[in-house]
Amino acid sequence: MAVYVLKKGDLEKFLLFLGKQGELIAPVKKDEVRFEPLKDPTDLYLDEQTYIPAKQYFFPQEQVLFTFQDDMIIPVVAPIKKRIFFGLRRCDLAAIQHQDIAFGEHNDPHYKKLRKSTILIGYQCTKKLHHWCFCGSMDLPDFYDLMFFEQEHHYQIDVGSAQGETLLKKSKLCRKTVVRISKEQKIVPDTNLLQRKDLGKHYSSKAWDSLVKKCISCAACTTLCPTCYCHEIKDDVPVSLKEVQRKRTWSSCQLKEFSGVAGNYTFRESRSSRFKHRIFHQLQYFREKHGVDLCVGCGRCIKHCPPRIDFIKVINKL
Amino acid sequence: MKSTKPTVGFYSITGCAGCLLSFIFNEKEIVQMTKLVTIVSFPFIHESAEIKEVDVAFMEGLVASPEDEEVLKEVRKKAKTLVALGACAHTACIPGYRHFVPKDSYARLMYEKLHKIKTIEPGPIDKYVQVDFTIPGCPPNKREIIKSVVNLCLKKQLKNYTSPVCVECRRNNNRCLLEENRICLGPITRGGCNAICTNSHFECWGCRGPTDDMNLPAFIELLEGKGFTKRDIRERIIAFSGQKNPKVLEVLP
Ligand code: SF4
Ligand code: SF4
Ligand code: SF4
Ligand code: SF4
Ligand code: SF4
Repeated sequence: MAVYVLKKGDLEKFLLFLGKQGELIAPVKKDEVRFEPLKDPTDLYLDEQTYIPAKQYFFPQEQVLFTFQDDMIIPVVAPIKKRIFFGLRRCDLAAIQHQDIAFGEHNDPHYKKLRKSTILIGYQCTKKLHHWCFCGSMDLPDFYDLMFFEQEHHYQIDVGSAQGETLLKKSKLCRKTVVRISKEQKIVPDTNLLQRKDLGKHYSSKAWDSLVKKCISCAACTTLCPTCYCHEIKDDVPVSLKEVQRKRTWSSCQLKEFSGVAGNYTFRESRSSRFKHRIFHQLQYFREKHGVDLCVGCGRCIKHCPPRIDFIKVINKL
Repeated sequence: MKSTKPTVGFYSITGCAGCLLSFIFNEKEIVQMTKLVTIVSFPFIHESAEIKEVDVAFMEGLVASPEDEEVLKEVRKKAKTLVALGACAHTACIPGYRHFVPKDSYARLMYEKLHKIKTIEPGPIDKYVQVDFTIPGCPPNKREIIKSVVNLCLKKQLKNYTSPVCVECRRNNNRCLLEENRICLGPITRGGCNAICTNSHFECWGCRGPTDDMNLPAFIELLEGKGFTKRDIRERIIAFSGQKNPKVLEVLP
């Protein structure tokens, strides 16, 4: 598709322009880097991977699905505002695509509602943002409305959709170029860390034990993972016994209660089965079902795992 | 006509009354709640300390004196369901800390001088009587108390939150305090508090008691790797819930 050019000095103007087109959400650094509404363009922070991925904007930590009273269902009505995301990395973008697949499978209306009316603007990493970035092993797609490629004095902007191009034209800050984005530009150097193999053959390997032994089942890995979509659904009954809220809340396969069912039975009782389930769902099962890995190689689940359990090393040795 | 509303009583033994206050902080809901239940006893409201027959008794405090034990047993006898309310009742909490301290180091200083105070080994209430349900926390979450009452009225099965505090802490987008080299007991502590401490950048001290699923050796190894001594870790864990975590004394003698 077409490629445009924006002068580096015009980025702030461009962000101000975006802020007028909808709610602008971008990486901001406080104690950690998070995707937050960008109030001032100088708050934009692109030097680190965000600690918290962007998934909460489409799949919130806690969401009221509907309210009910007696036999009446009262849907949640909230105006949907247009949201523009800036500064999503290739891994962040692919993660959104993978969640689209996961929630799309059952045509989830709650996800869909928050996901539509969004514009995704990416920012290609020129170098890996931390030691465990392994996006280069994951064969990530082009999934964006626009993607920024940083050059010395300007940005090349790769157009990914018609709504992206319309936005660029409207800004009147960019000019079209005949230059094309090369394949190499789309790959971050030194990020091909994980050897891909058929994990199905290695489920019973003893190699996992050394990792499981260190795991404290804190679920940081799945909570911070941009693709994990597991949740629980509970009813919140107020004292008035009226207007009961049905809520969806993030959960995790690392927790024992997650696989608990009626009759006090727990499918994945052992820590080992829970630990392996995460790795296998991310790097094997999802691909078997949907033809693409769930994992996007962002490495957050290693970087922020308190005992820093590095499954890359173990998988490479299998 | 006799009311068919369930009767509820609140009782208190050694404790700070913070758990009862937590309940009172539900100002709006309490009024609505009286449509569902009749409160027959509440220390701040009813002058009489008479222990009546009730459907559900909420017991605040730990057993630290012979009187505590008597009151507790009487409440148990008269209640169909007994709920341990708060950390003192659940784990013996901070007042139970003396359980881990050699007795001659404090008895001489405190209790022997004050002849009137009779003391026994401090312990959570389930050391003395059967407890049907526990609302953990120091103080307990006010919503959780109200929810338990509603669920008891609806005859729903009461269920405790079992996942570690980290789950709620991470959900709240907090930066992890372990990354700042601070001892945070979130990974081994039952959640349900919405990570109220770590939300304010304060470490989790484990007031809701240990999770069933904790991986204590791995957690200790993790903290030792950050430079903490066995003693640092032991002291932190026993402060609020040592009596509910006997494994600590096995691994950290
Ligand atoms: S995983 Fe790749 S795309 Fe993601 S932050 Fe790291 S280098 Fe960038
Ligand atoms: S973050 Fe690490 S320790 Fe925590 S559950 Fe995941 S793998 Fe286990
Ligand atoms: S599994 Fe780990 S590396 Fe893969 S997307 Fe999730 S957090 Fe990133
Ligand atoms: S890794 Fe676990 S929490 Fe994440 S999507 Fe898969 S099953 Fe769910
Ligand atoms: S700050 Fe404490 S509770 Fe929060 S994630 Fe870290 S260890 Fe868990």
